[in-house]
Amino acid sequence: MDAAISLSHISKEYRLALSRKRRPAIVDVSVEVGGGEIYGLLGPNGAGKTTTLKVLLGLVRPDSGEGSLLGRPLGDRTAHAKLGFLPEEPYFYGFMTAEKGLAFYSRFLGLDRKEAAVRAGELIDLVGLQRDSHLSIDKFSKGMVQRFGLAQAMLGDPELLILDEPSSGLDPVGQKEVRDILVELKRRGKTIFLSSHQLSEVEKICDSVSIVNKGKSVKAGKVSELLTITGFKQVIVSGGERAVEALSSLAPGSALPDGEAAFNVPEDEVFAFVDAARDAGLELMSVTTGHRSLEELFMETVEGGGR
Amino acid sequence: MRNVLALSWQVVRDAARRKVFYVVFLFGIAVVALSPLLPTFELGLKAQFLRDVSLSLTSLFAVVLAVILSVGQISSEIDRKTVYNVLSKPVSRFEYLLGKYIGVLVSLAAILFVMGLEILLLVYLRLSVFTPIIFEGIFAIFLEAAIISAFCICLSTVTSVPVNILSVILFYLVTHLKTGFLHQQLIEGVKGIAKVFSWAVYYVLPNLENFNISQRVGYGHGAGWLYMLRITGYALLFMIIIFGIGVLLFRRRNL
Repeated sequence: MDAAISLSHISKEYRLALSRKRRPAIVDVSVEVGGGEIYGLLGPNGAGKTTTLKVLLGLVRPDSGEGSLLGRPLGDRTAHAKLGFLPEEPYFYGFMTAEKGLAFYSRFLGLDRKEAAVRAGELIDLVGLQRDSHLSIDKFSKGMVQRFGLAQAMLGDPELLILDEPSSGLDPVGQKEVRDILVELKRRGKTIFLSSHQLSEVEKICDSVSIVNKGKSVKAGKVSELLTITGFKQVIVSGGERAVEALSSLAPGSALPDGEAAFNVPEDEVFAFVDAARDAGLELMSVTTGHRSLEELFMETVEGGGR
Repeated sequence: MRNVLALSWQVVRDAARRKVFYVVFLFGIAVVALSPLLPTFELGLKAQFLRDVSLSLTSLFAVVLAVILSVGQISSEIDRKTVYNVLSKPVSRFEYLLGKYIGVLVSLAAILFVMGLEILLLVYLRLSVFTPIIFEGIFAIFLEAAIISAFCICLSTVTSVPVNILSVILFYLVTHLKTGFLHQQLIEGVKGIAKVFSWAVYYVLPNLENFNISQRVGYGHGAGWLYMLRITGYALLFMIIIFGIGVLLFRRRNL
């Protein structure tokens, strides 16, 4: 499939208030998002994630670089008919109910009243707001506003969803529901570009990620490739913390929540490691390709990449 | 046009929610409170006085309303990020700004129309004189409020609410002082930067005194259709210029 999003060497600086000094927000950022994939944009606070999204949406004009959105140049409004956007900590006109709010936004997408009402009803059900659809938005909790925001983003059945922190403000049940919606949308062929701090969530659903730090894109690629450690095997043994204590001198490892422990062991030392584990009275659970979590990769990249 | 209408309707609904329409009732109370203070003139003079004073009061209310409705129209939407939800849809910044401005104009027109009816009713009930000419004055007041509103919306694209309020107060004072104080300054030959400033202000800014026809409406004969046509064109010209500057500023703005 063609790239749904393409950013090439985008840079943006902001002038500091009451000063001639300029602060770079993003520097030479390039992103390529294929059609039909879920792409995660990761980075610490102030790394440039939101600026990148704003450049994509034409809300911020880049100083240099170029890009395209659904095959159209950045800033071309026709592409916006096929995309949905959820800003971080969204805010909506508080006097509207969920139904009226969706009807309002649907007018920009060319839906007639009947279509808009049907679509609004479907989306209100999908995001779980059916019981509260008569309430005005200013009476919504943070999580309800987030759900409404997601419904608003999905209003035009968009080909591309751009989501800034989609799980922000949601409880674990809500986060799981949003994750399920995103996976379902992907199954239907939609492209999703999201920024998130929730690394475990990103690891579960994203096909590709890009890590930005201090405005620069420092790592990007397929999640499966980025998390694979070549030349290493991941050995999982029983014992949890006890196993980590017993074997950490042989290979770095960490306890897992289910009482086991995972170690990344150089391939030529696997047999010796397994023997040592058995000698310590631990049970071997599995040996797979060397693997690290997205959190480990993120911390390595952000801390090692120099803040 | 669909986008512009949707945004205009949202502004009108928001104005209703913010209870600015209560101003209409406040105004009614103020005008009724005025009427016992009518001097003991003959009937014609009483009607003249009542029309003149009511329109002057309307003008004051209209300016305050225009500022309330427009001053944070764009900047507060940027601060609250509601602007993102609209501009991420296929809506241009021009449509966004135009929708907001038209919404403010519709709200102002509705409020001023009701105020005009209140004056008409008051004059009729107190003095049994039917004076539809009052709406000529109301229309002139609307034109002035429309220019002030364009100024507020233009500034609202780049400044915060407090800066906008200070600027519009200055704008209002200067544009009302033009024919008097500033003209005198130009004729009497102030020098240096003061002269350049006076010249710029005199020739670049609109003269809002043109819209003050309360006295003429008070007399009962109005300003005449030719004058009304002239001030309508004059107002439209400044509305388009000021709004156009707003569009240019908003286009360049990083949101």
